[in-house]
Amino acid sequence: MSQIKNQKKMEKFDIVSNVIITLFALLNLFPLYWLVTSSLKNSSDVVKMPPDWWPKSFTFSNYVDIFQSQPALRWTFNSIFVSGATTVLVIVIGSMAAYAFSKINFKFRNIIYVIFVSSLMIPKEIMIVPLFRIVQNFDMVNAYGGMIWPNVAGAFGVFLLKGFFDTTPNALREAARIDGASEWRTFTRIMLPIVKPGIGALFILNFVQVWNDYLWQLVVGQEKLMKTLMVGTATLMQDLNPNFAYKMAGATVAAIPMLIIFILFQRYFTSGITAGAVKE
Amino acid sequence: MKLRRNIYAKENMTGYLFILPQMLVFLMFLVYPIFEGIRLSMYRINYQNEKFVGFENYMILFNDPVFFKALINTVVFVVFIVILTVGFALFVASAVFDKNARYVSFIRGSYYIPVMVSMVVMSMVWSFLLNPANGLISYFARDMGLGAINLLGNPKTVMPVIIFVTFATNVGQAIILYIAAMIGVPKDLFEAAEVDGASRWQVIRKILIPSVKPTTVYITIINIIAVLKIFVVIQLLTGGGPNNASVTLMYYLYNNAFKYNQLGVASAVGVIMFVITLLLSVPQLKSMLQDK
Repeated sequence: MSQIKNQKKMEKFDIVSNVIITLFALLNLFPLYWLVTSSLKNSSDVVKMPPDWWPKSFTFSNYVDIFQSQPALRWTFNSIFVSGATTVLVIVIGSMAAYAFSKINFKFRNIIYVIFVSSLMIPKEIMIVPLFRIVQNFDMVNAYGGMIWPNVAGAFGVFLLKGFFDTTPNALREAARIDGASEWRTFTRIMLPIVKPGIGALFILNFVQVWNDYLWQLVVGQEKLMKTLMVGTATLMQDLNPNFAYKMAGATVAAIPMLIIFILFQRYFTSGITAGAVKE
Repeated sequence: MKLRRNIYAKENMTGYLFILPQMLVFLMFLVYPIFEGIRLSMYRINYQNEKFVGFENYMILFNDPVFFKALINTVVFVVFIVILTVGFALFVASAVFDKNARYVSFIRGSYYIPVMVSMVVMSMVWSFLLNPANGLISYFARDMGLGAINLLGNPKTVMPVIIFVTFATNVGQAIILYIAAMIGVPKDLFEAAEVDGASRWQVIRKILIPSVKPTTVYITIINIIAVLKIFVVIQLLTGGGPNNASVTLMYYLYNNAFKYNQLGVASAVGVIMFVITLLLSVPQLKSMLQDK
């Protein structure tokens, strides 16, 4: 009897929580809805009170404006190039190191690995002064090099990929060695293809992270043409242009690639984010 | 015997060659800046010259009321955001983890999308929503008879608003982590609980929350560190104001470095933050390196 009562209470609690959670989820998405619809309104409709919940007349003029009055195309290119190049470098050098830490027995391997992983928690933002001076010495302020290299230095790629290499059988490497394959060949031809899912997850996580990076790119890309899309878009907020629809259009342009990536690659996020945090 | 030593040497050599590229960038852009930062924190730096001043920069910090304001604000941010994030994410994950897959991925997605589109974009939208002249939230406030309000311009409301915006934008990651951890909890535990007639609340309290404790620790630590470096939302929403009511350590560091040209003082802030981060991350690193 009490069991049935309990069951009922349990269901009620569960239903109420899920209704609340769903409502909150929708509420959570509302700012994005407001962002996109505002960007499609004209400059007077966007600040109209009471507001139009759905644009009365659609206009793309804010988007045209962004690309004409601001170097938004160049910003987009900068973002794609910086995120892409950083990510490729992270994968190339990170997978090499991860393979070595996982499969090759060299001296001090564990100590070096511990040092690498210890850096995972340290945000580069707090080292921004020395980092900026180093980049300055390399003459890489306002240059792609300065925007890329500090982002390559982190050890997250090594940590994530080592987890994937660890799951591959050692016998494969030994067999390849007996057949006379060099270490490099074993790595590129046999091991890398096996850890493709790991590389996929790393690619997406890293690309998104660099794309959304703000503080470092703000400091290092000071010339207007060397800004990334995030930094360039943020400058619209200080812009004297009173048209909010125009600013929202800028923010939408910065957000859309990420939304597309998320929709296409949702499962990679779960596997990448949970690496190292959740044991299954 | 000699052959064996050769193989050893060769294995060592190959290993080092494989880690060399990563090692070089790591040393250059991560290890070196740490030591350089510590060194710079003891120098007074002008445009061209540096002068050793010992702990003077730290003394400057401890005599600056704005630094203490930033420190207190940062601690308040950390405490509230972490509690909100862990509490709410636990609530969401424990309620949805055993539901059907499509619903779970809807919840995961709708809370994670703001994380994806970045703090910059979300700050811009919130700045628009909160704008005292023409923002939606201000309109609602007027509509409900609260009069003209300026949530970001009021020293009393600015912190809660920023805490909420940051929490709402970032909670998605914690939700994903908790759902993944809860899906991994062995099924027989729930079955046993069902046989015993445990209520859902008891299941959550006695089985779920203890089972995901490592995830809770991880979420707490990464969130503390993330909040510690909170910057964008401050720059785009308040600029640290009104009257330094929302200035944070990271924002204070940035201003000193790139506005007031106080590189030595900024480095000292960086060193303090580095020590805090290091102390916080020790337990997590231990667990990451142990159970492999």
